[in-house]
Amino acid sequence: METVTDRSDEVRRLQRREARRRRIPLLPALLFTIVVTQVPFLFNIWYSLTDWKIVPPSPRKFIGVDNFVDLFDNRFFREAVLTSVLMTVTAVLLSVLLGTLIALLLDRKFFGQGFVRTLLITPFLVMPVVAGLIWNTQIFNSSFGVLNWGLDAVGLDRVEFVSRWPLWSIVIVLVWQWTPFMMLIILAGLQGQSSSVLEAARVDGASASSTFFQITLPHLRPYLELGVLLGSIYLIQVFDHVDVITGGGPDSTNVPYFVFQRSIGGGWQFGQASAYSIVVVVASIIIATLGLRVLSGLLEGEDAA
Amino acid sequence: MFTAETGIAVNFTVLDEQTLREVTTRDVGAGGRQFDVVQIGMYETPQFGANGWLVPLNDFAANDADYNIDDLIPAVRNGLSVDGQLYASPFYAESSFVMYRQDLLDSAGLAMPDAPTWDEVAEIARAIDSDETAGVCLRGKPGWGDLGASLTTVVNTFGGTWWLANADGSIGAAQVDQPEFAEAFNFYVDLVQDAGQTDAANSSFNECLNLYLEGKVAMWYDATVAAGLLEANDSPVKGLNGYALAPTNVTDTSGWLWAWTLAIPVTTTDQDAAWEFVSWATSEEYINQAGTRVPGGWAAIPPGTRQSTYENPDYLAAAEAFAQKTLDAMLAAPIDNPGTTPRPGLPGVQYVGVPEFQDVGTRCTEQFSAAIAGSISVDDALDACQEIASEVST
Repeated sequence: METVTDRSDEVRRLQRREARRRRIPLLPALLFTIVVTQVPFLFNIWYSLTDWKIVPPSPRKFIGVDNFVDLFDNRFFREAVLTSVLMTVTAVLLSVLLGTLIALLLDRKFFGQGFVRTLLITPFLVMPVVAGLIWNTQIFNSSFGVLNWGLDAVGLDRVEFVSRWPLWSIVIVLVWQWTPFMMLIILAGLQGQSSSVLEAARVDGASASSTFFQITLPHLRPYLELGVLLGSIYLIQVFDHVDVITGGGPDSTNVPYFVFQRSIGGGWQFGQASAYSIVVVVASIIIATLGLRVLSGLLEGEDAA
Repeated sequence: MFTAETGIAVNFTVLDEQTLREVTTRDVGAGGRQFDVVQIGMYETPQFGANGWLVPLNDFAANDADYNIDDLIPAVRNGLSVDGQLYASPFYAESSFVMYRQDLLDSAGLAMPDAPTWDEVAEIARAIDSDETAGVCLRGKPGWGDLGASLTTVVNTFGGTWWLANADGSIGAAQVDQPEFAEAFNFYVDLVQDAGQTDAANSSFNECLNLYLEGKVAMWYDATVAAGLLEANDSPVKGLNGYALAPTNVTDTSGWLWAWTLAIPVTTTDQDAAWEFVSWATSEEYINQAGTRVPGGWAAIPPGTRQSTYENPDYLAAAEAFAQKTLDAMLAAPIDNPGTTPRPGLPGVQYVGVPEFQDVGTRCTEQFSAAIAGSISVDDALDACQEIASEVST
């Protein structure tokens, strides 16, 4: 009895030492990560407690949490938060919805399937700035955009799209770019469906819609969650589209653009901008933690299967 | 050519305007020491100069016979000086005026005075406005240098101002909620909505230029430099245009004043070599060389900086249609007293000479542009802007 415990203790100690030894080569990478991410973040925290401005030049003074108090008092920051939430939620939901529909179509065998799939993916491969510029100048533009040309052709009034609906013009471009990404994830999910289950459903006489809602959709749930999670993490930090399509304004300045304007975009209020960015980091960590929990649930599910 | 004459090699970094502002402000302001010469605007020059970031140029200019400082157009020289000390040398300058299609006005039986009021301009614009041709093109795109420039000249001449000035010249109470500012902005929005171009909220210099060249607008209030493009050899409206001074209301003159300049940061490693380059690139000799070398010919040389340009027979021949009107506008620009009340900070016409204006002007014009588009109300835009402008009051 005693010898057995001794030996298992010994084994555990050896295992621990082995584990430590294996981690040593990772140290430089860890140090590098700390130096380039955590040290600047500590500086950032310090800046956020000062009233540092470049223009007009002024001595950097410690002012405690004043920047954070001002932040929640600032109606333009609150508006930017609201815009960020609206932009992210609508863009993610619409692209998941469209992505699912397209994935369902693509899941069927048809001639030229691979070719069509490749074509459908391309919007996701376009650089965000380029996508924004193309939509802004060639589609939305009120003088020579395709949109107004189409409206003219069917005899409707021209629309100043970007000026009248700034939020929607950005959301449309985001949906155009992110639908292919959602489609790929959902398609992977659909193709992972076991054909025997579907066949059993068919043999039991289930209708197409009840097969979809009772078998396919529950099976897709983790994939949909993954799509929503990754989409949210990326879209909450959208900057390029806002910059090139509207250049900010009511209903289109989101939090990243707001922080840009407060700092190098003309505000030069580095203290305030640091405080804003810390709030953004905290919010992102909360979202990412929720997200990672979903993600790990997904991975465990895979293991079990 | 400069390198051949002086043996000084020059390395350039070319940046777009927004990036240029970011880079020069950081480099000059935070002591980046990256550049020996920087290109800055008339807005930055006196501010950077007063901050002690730039090498004063009076002594260099006095010892450089080729430079001829007294040849600079007085308003431009004033705008680039603090307490009589020049801090940057201009290579391009502009004011603003009204450009209009003489042929369209004639056939409608309308006449434009040489120095119109805004009421006269608005009346002509509404009279001539049709489905094919808008009455007037006015800037509506957000940006302190876009909508902000045009609108501020209107606010000035309506007796309004962004801020009061405190006794020490610092920023006083915001005045965006005052009747004069509101009257000016309502006038601007009404005019552009009644008789303005389509999608005004998205247009600035380039958009208006295209519309004017295509014959889709009959008048255009913008930078004097545009005249050179309207009268260029390949312009479809060449020879069809008239020019009039910037419209006024309660002030005598209202045209803006802008220059792009070369300045020497105090962190430069070689002030003499830097001056030699600045002096060469902004000299009369350079303009003469450009006249025979640039593809557009004499009409396309950098205008507005020197009186000698407007005495040069070659230039006057090429720019006959607009040279005198441009010079009149440059000389009339009210750089020292743009409105009816003292302004905070350093001199400026279409902007307020304080560093905070960049940010306030940009964020306010986002609101104003939305009001021009009709997606928010004029009153909401003014309220929001009053709040933004009040953030920097002391």
